[in-house]
Amino acid sequence: MNISGEHLVEAIKYLAAGIAMGLGAIGPAIGEGIAAAHALDGMARQPEMEGALLRTMIIGQAITESTGIYSLVVAIILLFVV
Amino acid sequence: MLERLGQKLILRLELGPLVVSFDVVTVAMSLVVSLILIGIALWLRRDIPRDPEAPVGRKLAFLAGAFDFFHEQLLGGFSPELSRRLFPVITTLFLYVLFSNWISVVPKAESPTQNLNVTMGLALMVYGLSHYYAIRTKGARVHFRSYLEPYAFLLPMNMIGDFGRTLSHGFRLFGNIFGGAILTTIVLSLTAKVIAAIPLAAPFGLVFGVGLGTFLNAWFGVFIGAIQALVFALLASVYIRLMAT
Repeated sequence: MNISGEHLVEAIKYLAAGIAMGLGAIGPAIGEGIAAAHALDGMARQPEMEGALLRTMIIGQAITESTGIYSLVVAIILLFVV
Repeated sequence: MLERLGQKLILRLELGPLVVSFDVVTVAMSLVVSLILIGIALWLRRDIPRDPEAPVGRKLAFLAGAFDFFHEQLLGGFSPELSRRLFPVITTLFLYVLFSNWISVVPKAESPTQNLNVTMGLALMVYGLSHYYAIRTKGARVHFRSYLEPYAFLLPMNMIGDFGRTLSHGFRLFGNIFGGAILTTIVLSLTAKVIAAIPLAAPFGLVFGVGLGTFLNAWFGVFIGAIQALVFALLASVYIRLMAT
């Protein structure tokens, strides 16, 4: 069995997409968990603030998620474009 | 199923030197979404009584509740004047993205929002609107001078900030919906392969596949779709508010 350069590029492409997505998902996951935990803390302390806290939490998590979305885009580009 | 994941049906028009290409499925699906929204709007509007003293019917009560919800959730911190002007834009954005995300639950249908061109178009529209409302409320001079704040040499930083904000606004919706679609496709086709490899598992395969498909569509289509539509409309309103006040 001989492995040419094209096969190697193909294999490394899939590996790279997996690594990009897997490592890229860690940060946003931890960050969003922390945001949700603190929002829950706040809601437990002041249940009347629930609506405002929920809205702000969702905005914050959406912005936190950006880095994860970037790594998803990189993974998609590696899979379908490269 | 998996082999066709990245492929698209493209209509290319060559008008002299200008080449325009359309993604036929996306255009068709976004027209379908628009028609559904128009249909729902006409149906809800149909028997609203003209007389304001008439008793409140179910549709009117639903509309009033929905409008209150949108007002409170999407346009929370706006001044009353700006909020009244922005309400139709933000609510339409929310409903359009919501139904675009939800339509992927229908088999064979594809969300318009899993095409980057659609989400980037919406994000660019929000960016343009934020400049429009900023100029209308503050005046062009004050608005464009705010790019030189706090120091004039930070102008490139402010411009990169604008660029990144719009880019991530579009990519966030696209990434979530497209990622969900890819995951649904991959998990379902892998499950089919695993079940086909196990002998005597075929009778359970259909039940399991239908259950898994329902769960994945409910999660990625309905739940994540609703959250992402809310996030998109909320961020649009926050970006416009940041610029305009």
